[in-house]
Amino acid sequence: MITVAAVILAVGALVFTVMVRAGDVLEAEPSAPSNPDEERLAALEESLRDLEFEQRVGKLSEADYQQTRQDLEREMAQFQARIGGGVTQPAVEARVATALVCPHCGASFPTALKFCGECGRPMRRNTP
Amino acid sequence: MENLGSISLLVGFCLSLYAVAASAAGGWKRNAFLVESSRRAVYAVWVLVTAASAALVGALLADDFRFAYVASNSNRSLAAAYKFAAWWGGQEGSLLFWNWVLASYAALVVRLRRTHDALTPWVTATLMATQGFFLLLNAFVASPFRMLAVGRGITEVPDGTGLNPLLQHWAMIIHPPVLYLGYVGFTVPFAFAVASLAARQPGHEWIHLTRRWTIVTWLFQGGGILLGAAWAYAVLGWGGYWGWDPVENASLLPWLTATAFLHSVMMQERRGMMKIWNVVLISCTFLLSILGTFLTRSGVVSSVHAFGKSPLGSYFVVFLGLALAVTIYLILSRLEYLKPEARLQSVVSRESSFLLNGLILLLVCFAILWGTLYPLISEVFSGEKMTVGPPYFNRVNIPAGLFLLLLTGIGPLVAWRRASPDSLRRNFLWPLAAALVLAAGLFAAGVRHPYALVSFGLCLFVTWTIGSEFYRGARAIQARTRQNLPAAAVELARRNTRRHGGYIVHLGVVLMFVGFTGSAFNQEATVELKPAAQARLGHYELRLASVRPVENENYAGQTALVEVSQNGRPLGSLRPERRLYKSGGQTTSNVAIRRGLTEDLYLNFAGLSEDNQRAVLQAYVFPLVSWIWIGSVVLVLGGCICLVPSAKPGHSRTGSGGAESPHPEGTRAEARPTRH
Repeated sequence: MITVAAVILAVGALVFTVMVRAGDVLEAEPSAPSNPDEERLAALEESLRDLEFEQRVGKLSEADYQQTRQDLEREMAQFQARIGGGVTQPAVEARVATALVCPHCGASFPTALKFCGECGRPMRRNTP
Repeated sequence: MENLGSISLLVGFCLSLYAVAASAAGGWKRNAFLVESSRRAVYAVWVLVTAASAALVGALLADDFRFAYVASNSNRSLAAAYKFAAWWGGQEGSLLFWNWVLASYAALVVRLRRTHDALTPWVTATLMATQGFFLLLNAFVASPFRMLAVGRGITEVPDGTGLNPLLQHWAMIIHPPVLYLGYVGFTVPFAFAVASLAARQPGHEWIHLTRRWTIVTWLFQGGGILLGAAWAYAVLGWGGYWGWDPVENASLLPWLTATAFLHSVMMQERRGMMKIWNVVLISCTFLLSILGTFLTRSGVVSSVHAFGKSPLGSYFVVFLGLALAVTIYLILSRLEYLKPEARLQSVVSRESSFLLNGLILLLVCFAILWGTLYPLISEVFSGEKMTVGPPYFNRVNIPAGLFLLLLTGIGPLVAWRRASPDSLRRNFLWPLAAALVLAAGLFAAGVRHPYALVSFGLCLFVTWTIGSEFYRGARAIQARTRQNLPAAAVELARRNTRRHGGYIVHLGVVLMFVGFTGSAFNQEATVELKPAAQARLGHYELRLASVRPVENENYAGQTALVEVSQNGRPLGSLRPERRLYKSGGQTTSNVAIRRGLTEDLYLNFAGLSEDNQRAVLQAYVFPLVSWIWIGSVVLVLGGCICLVPSAKPGHSRTGSGGAESPHPEGTRAEARPTRH
């Protein structure tokens, strides 16, 4: 009896494996599920938020904060220009420079930010 | 039942090979039918291995002593829980358990990857190639379904020889499964790394996809190691929780490389650096987990934890060689996809501390590996097996461990990219001062052990830095939300669970170091006492009240009743036992422990003296050892917090809308629907 059950199990496993119908096939995902440039830009945005927080709680000297912020914003501008396709770096920097007041919570900052240091949402309502 | 088990393993082996071929061909030719068929093969393998496991467990619970495995790993008087645990108590059964865990992981992976993408076929192929190897061993080399036979007829014995008495302990019921969940689980991130290379994917999607897998398996491996340490402490009778045994070392090696990996992936996610390093680390983790299995199962090393001599060794060597060759080929042929996107900007930076952390962990790993394999190497080259004992491991690993502890305190507080002397002063002045004051105070109080002074000082240093991270972050949230400080600290952790869970893991490590450091002050004495006689150890007085016989259907033995007092004040009594197990004739000690936060009193009844008049008691005082177990719980708790998704910006539970804390490592990953 057990032997018969074992044979049925084995045959069932083989049939289940090979009998694939057209309706069983899952839909294909787009061939490029992740974009390294977008990944990098998102990482830079996170770094900038992290930097703002660390400066606020007093972990960074003013010199370190300013220098790292400039590095991050420069790298972000480069990546945004690359992703945006044709958007020049000065244009991107000018856009960033206007982002001093959060359109969501109204918090204002002495420096331009990609994301609000208060509510964490984007400093621009729409990204053209 | 034996036919069900054998046929299931055989068909499972064939289907795992089919899954490798179908998924590789499906991935190569982008054939969705083949890929779907390979997915189904993974499910089918799981069903078949589950059926084989059920057949073996059924035989164990039913005392079917026609099975050689049941006869040699169980007996009629064994409690049902231990009969079930005998599934992984012997070589063949534990291999089957390994297969079942791997099949379950593989089924879970394909279940969660519900879309056809470039990675999944190669992930399936890697998982099933590993599964095929282990099923090959179980089906053809070490089958748990071998029957006892006389001539050509199946026979049975009236009773089994029983599970090893040392394994009849609650920790042994859960220690092997937890450890296997770790060992086997490392196959999953390795499979994704291989798939990323095989599919020529740039970026670090494979890291996002496997981040939680890696943390979970790292937790299982660490938890399994700690449960093993708890078992050794409570069972082996000499009070040690770690003996640098080859099998213990083998379990630690992949955990160390996985620890390095968990830290260095942050470099890749944040800066696009160390891509080759991360692939190498996860590959090392997988290969070391296979090496650990080889050491445990081949009989090439002498260990209390190892199985006996077996023919499995050569199979493992071939599989390790193939896996290593394929990994090296894939890395070398895909170097153009592993180029770093940024360079190190300053020697004093978070990046440097991660790099140093990884290097030290690898150095420790290599030192332990060398000490573990040295007896084998010396035998090959000189014909003489030279043993490497704890002094070597302690000489190398204690200073390295203390340096890692220092980095645990420094790393999280050093800024990314660069940290000026002013920033360093802001973050480290007070913790450093506190550590020095503590070390000086301990020295003044008479502590002269140099490692103990350094260790206690570093423990305070790291605790201070972790505390300051929580305090400053919580204060910032408190200023905006007007919550009380503990609630603000919880909110802080909730907003970036990965980072703050990591800090709690670090705190657990600190507590464990406190426990390790206590071993510098251990005391021990072996005394022979007649009833009513007394002995003294440290500030404890021990009085032997009686020695009484004890017996049940599993074992017979004697219990020593020892009354414990301190300066004349009774503290209670301890009852260490000496047992003789009836089925196997093996003698063991059942130690008695009086546990405390400051120290444990540990008694082992070694037996009666030659004249049968006196009880031989080995008494130990282990200071601070409980902090190892407390630290273990904190470590696991912190790891679990890392697995909880972070709260998204602007969705504070307080409704304030204030996201004081950034979400540097957490939220982006949680946003991806297919991540697991």
